[in-house]
Amino acid sequence: MKLFLSMCTALALSSLTAFAQQEQFSSAQIAYDAGRYAEAVLLYEKILDQGIANPEVHYNIANAYFKDSDLPKAVWHYQKAWYEMPRDPDVKANLHFALNAAGAIEAKPAFTERLLCSLSKSEWIIAATAGYLLLILLLLLLQVKTSRRLVVKLCLVPLGIILLSTFGWLRWNQLQTHPDWVVVKTEATALFGPVKGSTAHFKIPIGALVRQRSIDPKGWVEVEYDGKQGWLETEYISRISP
Amino acid sequence: MRNSSLLILCSIFALAGTARAADVQMSIEPQLISLLDRAVLKVEFINASGKALDIPQVDGLNIQYRGQSSETSIVNMKRTSKVVHTYLVTPSKVGDFTIGPVTAQYKGGDKELSAQLRVIKPRDDKEAQAISELMYSQISSDREAPHVQEPFGLTLKVFIRDGVQIDGNFSIRGGMPENGMDGELQWEIVNRTRQEINGTIFGVYTLVSTAKTLTAGTFTFQPQVQMNVIIPRQNRRSYGFDDPFFGDFFGRQETRPIVLDCNRLEVNVRAVPVTGRPDSFTGGIGIFGFNVEVGPKEVKAGEPITVKMRISGKGNLSQITPPQIEESHDFKLYDARTVATDNPNEICFEQVLIPKSDSVTNVPPIKFSYFNTKTTDFRTISQGPFPVQVEAAPQQAAQVIATVPSTIQQETKILGRDIVYLKPAPDHWKNESDLNWYRKPLMRILLALPLLLLILVTGGTARKNKLANNVALARRQKAPKAARKQVQLAEQSMRKQDESAFYEALWNALAEYFGHRLNLAPGEVSLQAVLSSFSDAEEDLRALFSVVEQRRYGIQSEQENSKDEMKSLLHKLTATLKACERIKV
Repeated sequence: MKLFLSMCTALALSSLTAFAQQEQFSSAQIAYDAGRYAEAVLLYEKILDQGIANPEVHYNIANAYFKDSDLPKAVWHYQKAWYEMPRDPDVKANLHFALNAAGAIEAKPAFTERLLCSLSKSEWIIAATAGYLLLILLLLLLQVKTSRRLVVKLCLVPLGIILLSTFGWLRWNQLQTHPDWVVVKTEATALFGPVKGSTAHFKIPIGALVRQRSIDPKGWVEVEYDGKQGWLETEYISRISP
Repeated sequence: MRNSSLLILCSIFALAGTARAADVQMSIEPQLISLLDRAVLKVEFINASGKALDIPQVDGLNIQYRGQSSETSIVNMKRTSKVVHTYLVTPSKVGDFTIGPVTAQYKGGDKELSAQLRVIKPRDDKEAQAISELMYSQISSDREAPHVQEPFGLTLKVFIRDGVQIDGNFSIRGGMPENGMDGELQWEIVNRTRQEINGTIFGVYTLVSTAKTLTAGTFTFQPQVQMNVIIPRQNRRSYGFDDPFFGDFFGRQETRPIVLDCNRLEVNVRAVPVTGRPDSFTGGIGIFGFNVEVGPKEVKAGEPITVKMRISGKGNLSQITPPQIEESHDFKLYDARTVATDNPNEICFEQVLIPKSDSVTNVPPIKFSYFNTKTTDFRTISQGPFPVQVEAAPQQAAQVIATVPSTIQQETKILGRDIVYLKPAPDHWKNESDLNWYRKPLMRILLALPLLLLILVTGGTARKNKLANNVALARRQKAPKAARKQVQLAEQSMRKQDESAFYEALWNALAEYFGHRLNLAPGEVSLQAVLSSFSDAEEDLRALFSVVEQRRYGIQSEQENSKDEMKSLLHKLTATLKACERIKV
């Protein structure tokens, strides 16, 4: 009885929370539609502060930031949404639009990069799991009197899926070591070395996306932008990927 | 007698326990040394404990703390304990020196301590007044005011007066700029000569290195060259109880590390100007040449053309990024990559570009701009245009290329005039842990289950196949089960008081168990056949077989109560079969 009651309480609480989040989401949309972008940002931020990580929230808050003329934060949230919805045309279009508005140059990914980014990390894991289950199923089939040759040939399909998924997973895992950063300050100039007063190499516009190459413990990050590498102080950039 | 011995012993210990008064003393040994020798300074806390003293610097002496030791002695029935702090004193010039006064605190109060040391000229060289006259180093630069990232040469000369023996090893410890240098300096001995300076012959070692800075400003170089001087050990003794520089195997010489004096070199590094920097500047600082090769020169549309760009000369080659080829709708450009080259004074980049149509007649000019450190201005070297002959591609390929929009067209299409509108609320609210569902332990367990199933099924199938191919093994597995079945029948018969059925079941239990166990045909089960494999249970088996057979053929027992006998027989059968089950055949 006690267990039933506690389960009912938990269910009711979660429904209430979900309802409150739904309310905030709707209010934020109303504020956005009314042109009160700062208010919309605040409402979306509240949802995110509750630990909600739906890419839709990141996308919408990015839109609100964009309209509120905060390009770096807009790009930050668009990119965050893109990690979870890499094929979503709206996310891609808006990120592209925001980067263009910032005057930033977008990286041109190679074919393999595009292929591996066609699924999100979770999707690659689902694909790998499906491949794994299919492989187990086929191996179970091998125990039964069936055409062994055909089954062995069929095993190549899940093996291929697992292999491709591993590469996809590794691609996303690279973000741990080479995370994406967004430039949050104007006059960001990448230098040739991780020392103040080092020779200026190239300028990066505010709102541009850069990829980390290496890091210096004294507060410098070697970034790659438009095919060039240079050192930026961390105060100029904000880390996006985990 | 026994009491008097005890009294004497107690008196001895009591006297030994009488300690001297607390004191602190400073001593130096020896008090007279030559310039290349060393002395040991000791601060002794007698019957007291004390920390190491901070000995003030004395011009011409280098005083290094070496450690602490303690000792206890009993002299004339008086116990003395000491805490000794030891310092190694190395002179750098001749003269009379006073070490201290320094105040030592101990339990008896404060005491001022000092020690005297006389340093005389070395026996081998009566002229030298200081070590810096015997050996020293000089550093110089080949550039007065280099630019940032511009490599410049440093030369370090080590002068050693003729007659001074060294072990030939140099180490450079510190004295270099801490910030702004691009990597650590690597020194290399390039020359060793003899040179006369003011009428004295010196052996001169020349070391060179190349420095490069990341920032502009004044960089000070005053390297501390440490080398080991070999000193004959005659009339000397080794003072270093923890001195790592021991003499040779026979103790005839000792090695003494010496840090040489060196001049102070200040290099003013200039910044690369920002004004007048061309767009095609890719970080090159120095004096360079630029050469471009393009090939093949006759291609079909859609086929790659390789552009090889070589930058050679003196400067920061490793920091130069590839020169940019002007973006054009006529070409598809791939990223440039660095190609390995045998020439250390050269860097080579390779970039692939693909002409999109046969209207292309040349590869556009490629510019390389660098900062010339000699003329202190930016120079641009332009190569090209490079004529190429592009033929039309076969129809199919041409169509493919034609459908690929250029980057700019694509942008125009995608961008529109505003961002895409908001997304509707999600069906389910997810938090961070929901997004990382694959990290949950339950997920790992669920993933392990199919594998477990596979292992179980594979194992089961393998066992089944094995039993199918091995009849003896299969029958062996069946034996206990078959026997159990017959034992159950016997129990039922016993309850019904059906003696013939009971004994028949007992016989069947024996026959089926041993038939399966020994892989025998039904009629082949006999006591002899069974005993040949189960000799350990011979007695029980004989009795069991005999009784069961007798009862089957109607020979009654002498016992009046047949039910008791049946019970006993059934029990014996079960026990015997269990015992046989444990016997390996």
